[in-house]
Amino acid sequence: MSQATAPYLGTVPPEFRRPSLWTISWRAITRKPSRVIGIVIILFFTLMAIFGPMLYPKQLPINPAELYAPPSWAHPLGTDFEGTSVLAEIITGSRYVLSAAALAAVFTIGFGTLAGVVSGYFLGSTDQIIMRVTDFILTIPGFPLLIVLSTIWSFGSPIAMGLVLGLTGWGGLARAVRSQTLSLRERGFIEAARGLGLSNSHIITREILPNISPYIAMNLLLSVTGGIYAEVGLFFLGVIPFQSNNWGVMLNLAFSNGAMYTPQSLLYMVSPMACILLVTFGIVLTLDAFDEILNPRLREG
Amino acid sequence: MSAKLTDRSQQDFGLSPEVACQVRDLNVTYRVDGRELSALREVSLDIRQGQITAVIGESGSGKSTLALALMNAVSSPGRIASGSVTYRGLGEVTRMRGEELRRVRGKAISMVFQASQNSMNPLTRIGAQLLDLARSHDLPNPRAVLREAGDLASRMSLDADRVLTSYQHQLSGGMRQRVGIIFGLVLKPKILLMDEPTTALDVLSQSSVLEIVRSIQRERQLTTVLITHDMGVVAELADRVVVLYAGRVVEEASTAELLRHPRHPYTRALIQAIPRLTGDLGDAKALEGQPPSLASVPNQGCVFRERCPYRMDVCDTILPSFRFDGDGEHRFACHYEEARRD
Amino acid sequence: MNKLVPRLIRRILGGIVMILAVASFTFFLIHMIPGNPVDAKLAQLEIAGVQPQQAMTEVHAMYGFMPHQPLYVQYVQYIWELLHLNLGKSITYAGVSVTHLLLEAMPWTVITVTSGIIVSFVFGILAGVIIAVYRDRGISNGLTLFSTFLHGIPQLILALLLAYLFTTIWAIFPYGSPYDAAIAPGFTLPFIGSLAWHAVLPVAAYAISSYGGWALTMKSSVISVLGDDFILASELRGLKPRIRIGYIARSAILPLFTTLTLSIGFMFGGSVFIEEIFDYRGLGYMLITATGNLDYPLMAGSFLIITVAVIVANIVADFLYTAIDPRIRV
Repeated sequence: MSQATAPYLGTVPPEFRRPSLWTISWRAITRKPSRVIGIVIILFFTLMAIFGPMLYPKQLPINPAELYAPPSWAHPLGTDFEGTSVLAEIITGSRYVLSAAALAAVFTIGFGTLAGVVSGYFLGSTDQIIMRVTDFILTIPGFPLLIVLSTIWSFGSPIAMGLVLGLTGWGGLARAVRSQTLSLRERGFIEAARGLGLSNSHIITREILPNISPYIAMNLLLSVTGGIYAEVGLFFLGVIPFQSNNWGVMLNLAFSNGAMYTPQSLLYMVSPMACILLVTFGIVLTLDAFDEILNPRLREG
Repeated sequence: MSAKLTDRSQQDFGLSPEVACQVRDLNVTYRVDGRELSALREVSLDIRQGQITAVIGESGSGKSTLALALMNAVSSPGRIASGSVTYRGLGEVTRMRGEELRRVRGKAISMVFQASQNSMNPLTRIGAQLLDLARSHDLPNPRAVLREAGDLASRMSLDADRVLTSYQHQLSGGMRQRVGIIFGLVLKPKILLMDEPTTALDVLSQSSVLEIVRSIQRERQLTTVLITHDMGVVAELADRVVVLYAGRVVEEASTAELLRHPRHPYTRALIQAIPRLTGDLGDAKALEGQPPSLASVPNQGCVFRERCPYRMDVCDTILPSFRFDGDGEHRFACHYEEARRD
Repeated sequence: MNKLVPRLIRRILGGIVMILAVASFTFFLIHMIPGNPVDAKLAQLEIAGVQPQQAMTEVHAMYGFMPHQPLYVQYVQYIWELLHLNLGKSITYAGVSVTHLLLEAMPWTVITVTSGIIVSFVFGILAGVIIAVYRDRGISNGLTLFSTFLHGIPQLILALLLAYLFTTIWAIFPYGSPYDAAIAPGFTLPFIGSLAWHAVLPVAAYAISSYGGWALTMKSSVISVLGDDFILASELRGLKPRIRIGYIARSAILPLFTTLTLSIGFMFGGSVFIEEIFDYRGLGYMLITATGNLDYPLMAGSFLIITVAVIVANIVADFLYTAIDPRIRV
């Protein structure tokens, strides 16, 4: 039950000694049905991304006889401008969208946390330099930057996409993590650990990171939504070469193949958008639980 | 409408002629973590016409809550659970709501706040805020308020023109406090409530401000309630004193009588805590221990017993009732004193 | 006031450094593009039989620097041209100067973005005040839910949905161009009417996508102001509700003006989807067309302008705040 708790020091103020994070999270999530729904949505799409593409051939069949077909048993969401099943496209497309978004979130969190913790922990000139760079990153409009970057690097693979989104999107998190680290410092947290002669890396990995981990987890989820929007946007605009089918590619093809002009394409147009919104919705519902996990005062209420 | 209001202003609402405001069995509770905690318990008192009545107590005694209750301004999670606050010429404020209550606040009953330095809108000049105040109470000539405020400012040795055209942040703490007092006086209220009006001031400006308040009060025969923790201020200013402890009135008398013959051990302790200019600083004795918090006030027996040097067995179980002294003008609630005199 | 001038200078200098940094980025970006478009262009011209000297000049005009020269010389040339507001010549719009193209594109973006944001600001502020003032009532909860929901919809999806639903499913609004091609452009009533009618959906897209943010920010701003001493004091002084709400709203809006300016700056960059979907030839459209057509001078120019807008908005926001908050204006 408590094995997940980080090994805290005797000097740690009691408010940092929590029951296991898993226990707290479980309690917080099951407290409200909306949060359970959020988790269920996330799990549903995750499973779809992992196992869904296995149900379909690599190249989805086209059928010129069934353009923009209405929903049927064979094609529950109808077909597109080539007669391909929309449901099949949604399911096979989910893998790329979610894996790239998840990687983007991991990279964003990685860069942001590293920059923020180092900045807030060491202060001085390290802090100054990192914060200058952060300000710069924050000032440059991210999406146009991605478009421009696409000309020198076609970051189409999920890992490259994740990396680019991470590299351009860590600024806000770095600032937030820095201020979290500073607040730990203000509570005498770092000084106490230093007084015990612990090494910097020990203090950072064992003392600071566990304490800001719920906050980081919250931002991990948030970054997933940001990642989805950005990659779908890039594919929609067609600046990244298509490697595989995904929801952004679907929107791009729909837009450029005249689906905008016919009401018959309703399901084809709306399906990918609905999926994006549904994933976001699931994440937002789940995030609600993090307020409680982060804020011990709410937990008792 | 106005005829009705005039009618009302002539009514005494059953108050005897020397009383401006009558508080009866007032109970105020705060809801904390699902429990109702009492901040004021069965408080009854008469605030006399044209006099300065001081309410003294430590922080947590409920004195600020009393000030808010006198304006029916106890806000959530607190509420006036029962009791009445009746003003001559106004009626029962705890029954008033909405517009009726708004018209009374700031006009007939006005308040100088504890945090008066921060009681002004930081984005608007002081003069404009005075005009807002005048317009809110439908004064026929709002500009006259500025003149009145200017006079008050000069009396408080402020540069009137400068103050009226300033923003709050351009004034020092002491100046803001005086401006807060101007806001309280400018509409010529019938009753002035002052909640720790001088805490933010240094000793010298404190006494000069108090002197001005006193002289204006005398001139206008202004009924004043002074909320304070400082017996020194009480001695300087008040006509009557009500001593509050843990939400209960424990003693009330005229200032002279109270200072000369304090009955309640808590009152004595407060008087001993006054630093005297002539004596040694060491002679001033602070009361030991802490006042109880809302949650730890005992529900039976005497509320003061935990800190009382004369604690008896009866104090643990039975709430002392009021005994009257000196032609009924002096009352106190203490088992020990009662036993001593019988 | 005297503290203001050095600060102003510092901020402007900081802004200039930022712009230089971005310009350097676009300069090196062009050099990093696979296949070296500058040399390729030169070779192409020479193959076409253009004199080498002539070809060099043409490439210079296009990119703002001479090829085959040391990198630092090229860099200095590039920056020098930038200082003269010369952003090179477009490739897609053969021979037209990038500066000219961007100046033409600017109004499309500026007018739609600004009107969209102003509309959303007004509604967002009102909603935020209502949510905060009527806390724990049905209307507040409903509005919060509604605002959060709208806040969560990405701009791309919103714009696509609006375009699809209101031009194809229900053909209420025209689609596909910023004005009716049958009406001759000019400063005439029918033309302006057509412009406005065609602008309804794009402006709505800007407005709806930023409304939720305003409402939620205003809500928390109002709630924090409601806790201020002077608001309690104004209640106990019996100020009229109208005046009190004015006090509250003014204090609560103040911090939002900074965000307002910033978001106008940022929307320049966010305009990409809406301009692409509604076929508005604004800055975002220029950026995306240039990228698609490998028109690097135009691409670099649009990116630079979009970034400069953000940097300028940052500085303006800072000073606007100083100008409207008397507490800072000492």
